[in-house]
Amino acid sequence: MKKKLSLKLAAGLVCAAMLAGCGSGSSGTEPQTIGEPTQAAEESAAETAAAEPAEAQELTFVLNNEPDSLDPSYTNNSFASPFLTNLFEGLVTYDENGELAPGNAESWESNDDMTVWTFHLRDGLKWSDGTPLMAKDYVYSALHVMTPTTTSQYVNMMTDYIVNGQEYYDGTASAEDVGVKALDDNTVEYTLKQPTPFFADVTSMWVYAPVQEATVEANGDKWSTAADTYVCNGPFKVSEINMGESVVLTRNENYWDAENVTLEKLTFRYILDLSTALTAYENGEVDGVRNIPAGDIARLKAEGAGTHTINVYGTVYYNFNCQKEPYNNPLVRKALNLAIDREAIINNVAQLDAQPAYSILAPGYMVDGKDILDGRSTFEMSPTADVEAAKAALAEAGYPDGEGFPTVQLSFYSDDTVKKVAEAIQEMWETNLGIDVEVTSADWAVFYSGVQSGDYEVAAMGWSADYVNPMSFLPLLVTGDVTNTSFYSNPDYDALVEQIKVEKDPAAFAQLVKDADDLVSSDYPVLPLYYKADTYLLKDYVSGVYTDSSAHLYFKDAVVTK
Amino acid sequence: MVRYFAKRIATMVIALFLIALLTFVIMHSIPGGPFTSDRKVSPEVEAALNAKYNLDAPLAEQFFDYIGGLLHGDFGPSYKYPGKSVNDFIYNGFPVSAKLGGITIVFVLLAAIPMGVVAAVKNGKWVDMAVMAVATIGVTIPSFIIASLLIYVFSFRLNLLPTYGIDTWKGYILPVIALGGYSISYMARLMRSSLLEVMGQDYIRTARAKGLSEVKVVFGHAMRNALIPVITVLGPTIANLMTGSFVIEKIFAIPGLGGYLVNSVSQRDYTTIMGVTIFYATFLMVMIFVVDIFYCLIDPRIKYE
Repeated sequence: MKKKLSLKLAAGLVCAAMLAGCGSGSSGTEPQTIGEPTQAAEESAAETAAAEPAEAQELTFVLNNEPDSLDPSYTNNSFASPFLTNLFEGLVTYDENGELAPGNAESWESNDDMTVWTFHLRDGLKWSDGTPLMAKDYVYSALHVMTPTTTSQYVNMMTDYIVNGQEYYDGTASAEDVGVKALDDNTVEYTLKQPTPFFADVTSMWVYAPVQEATVEANGDKWSTAADTYVCNGPFKVSEINMGESVVLTRNENYWDAENVTLEKLTFRYILDLSTALTAYENGEVDGVRNIPAGDIARLKAEGAGTHTINVYGTVYYNFNCQKEPYNNPLVRKALNLAIDREAIINNVAQLDAQPAYSILAPGYMVDGKDILDGRSTFEMSPTADVEAAKAALAEAGYPDGEGFPTVQLSFYSDDTVKKVAEAIQEMWETNLGIDVEVTSADWAVFYSGVQSGDYEVAAMGWSADYVNPMSFLPLLVTGDVTNTSFYSNPDYDALVEQIKVEKDPAAFAQLVKDADDLVSSDYPVLPLYYKADTYLLKDYVSGVYTDSSAHLYFKDAVVTK
Repeated sequence: MVRYFAKRIATMVIALFLIALLTFVIMHSIPGGPFTSDRKVSPEVEAALNAKYNLDAPLAEQFFDYIGGLLHGDFGPSYKYPGKSVNDFIYNGFPVSAKLGGITIVFVLLAAIPMGVVAAVKNGKWVDMAVMAVATIGVTIPSFIIASLLIYVFSFRLNLLPTYGIDTWKGYILPVIALGGYSISYMARLMRSSLLEVMGQDYIRTARAKGLSEVKVVFGHAMRNALIPVITVLGPTIANLMTGSFVIEKIFAIPGLGGYLVNSVSQRDYTTIMGVTIFYATFLMVMIFVVDIFYCLIDPRIKYE
């Protein structure tokens, strides 16, 4: 804990990055991306559509992190995404336009106050082992997640919504009381604690995917660690698990839409070293790579090497400890915000293909084909630093030319990109505001426990939403929320969020979100840097691979035309 | 002799216990735990996880439970990879690392000993200087740079060898060179200086006076004694190479044991830290023990009482 006092920068995104650094263990969920798949992806798909499918429908795709688990009931680790996205299919899924689409459920509806959601399963669904998959399997899976011994990392994604979910978890309600029911073989009904207009989005999360009772009960938590006990229901199934090396997926002939799945074999090979992975890709030894060394993105793009950038529904920012002097003063936070040259950070420091952020809330939530945040304020910020305005704000706060301003303690966790960004921020604040900044770093576990306990001044953070809805961001600044590590508190904002939670009308919902964003961002509770973006590599002879707004990669439509 | 070995084994057991204790204490005194993650786990889940893995018990109890498991050969479950045990990591990772390490050792010995002998015999000549120059470079350049260079030249530029993995025999070439580079250089230097020293001794002069050929002098008389320092470092070197190198395994994407220790520390995967540390410590001690036995075989002057 010693180090935590120091500085913290936090970049949220990072979890993924840092975890990566640490190996695969922690749960960095790096979920949602934004709305549209990238243009590049679409173009290449269009180009190759004309080409003839190749004989061998096989792909090797490199992953740069090993997930902690391949069990959808257990993990919230973003590194599991390529597996769970392609091995499982929940009630709903996303199509190539990033829009919600029928999955196992062919249709669904809710009651008027959006508290009871009914999903109608397709006929004849099967598990990968050929046994029938029915509504009761969804009920079993939900109860399995909400059982304490499962230690599901995403359990609150169920207990927060489903009636008596928390009570069942606590042992004070029985299974019959829980709001998940199989009305018949093909109908699942969820009863929710409160009106939830975005519940269908929530059910796209893999924690809502069905797991097979037979294999789970027979093998315990080992079911997902070996190919012969791994039962799933998606376009692919597991045919080999080579620990630390690779997982081989093959086409699942029992998938309901198997006739439209062309790819026969998809090998996910772990190569943790980014340069090795890139060399293997450029050498043609592999067909795609999940992550690219930041410094190479520009070159690969220029060479047309098959880069695909996905906007992720997430934001990289720094927390201010809003309970601490002088960061409890909005003018100070404003000055610190205005003094940052975001363009320089994105292009020269982090070297990403990303958009500058002026608010913690990332764009990407669409209503009627339009981003609800279109045309929002920049809160007096611009892509580059506004030194004069920043100085004026600091003077107004009582620190003309930075005089008397205490040394800023800027903390971050060990990660190359995060470190470079932290140093850039230090430099910008020192030069533009005339204040002193001290940076300190610690490894993630140490750093994060410091942030959670409020033992920091300014800390690197980031957030990737779990599902594509502003509600996955808004609680970050709500008074007393467990995820509110900046300890910002604003009763007006809290009240707005309460309203948003239950607003059923999409247009009114959009307006309220915008209002809440306006209100809170004008108070500069955090230092937003950029909206997350993620670039992966895929050879041009592969078409049909798409991503959704959570950066999940879908291979079910993939075709190799080599 | 038997008494001596019994004593050695007892010392090893005590040392292992102390290593386990020390690792355990240090591990639990660093902040953060296995369930610290970027996504805050709700207090209930954290409590459920702690209860599942017995992390809510007093530390002393946890330690003795762990030692109890160890006595049955059970390294415990991994906290970070549910459904997998530390034994799984070792069973899966060690054979891979050991095979790569074993090949590397053979390669090291085949390269280092002749290099050292040639350099010693041609002491001061250009061959000696050339060998020593190569050996100096090998000792000073870190393995990850050698590895990256090898990949760049042989995989990327010449396209002769695979960039990653050891699925075919070709895949072994680059990792073996990168992994063995340091040991070759170090051992070649050691072999050279040791042989030079032995060659200056009286019994070598006697051998030469008997009119033996230089070949016989070197290989029949000098080598045996000159090898002792090499064998001394061979024990720890074997342990090192066979338990896997984090750097080399990461660069070449080899699913060995090397990565687990490093990753488990940053993830606070307590049982993996303990398991891999103890496994490595045991292996190292056994290798040193084996070396001690070899001393007796090579040099009859050495006896254990």
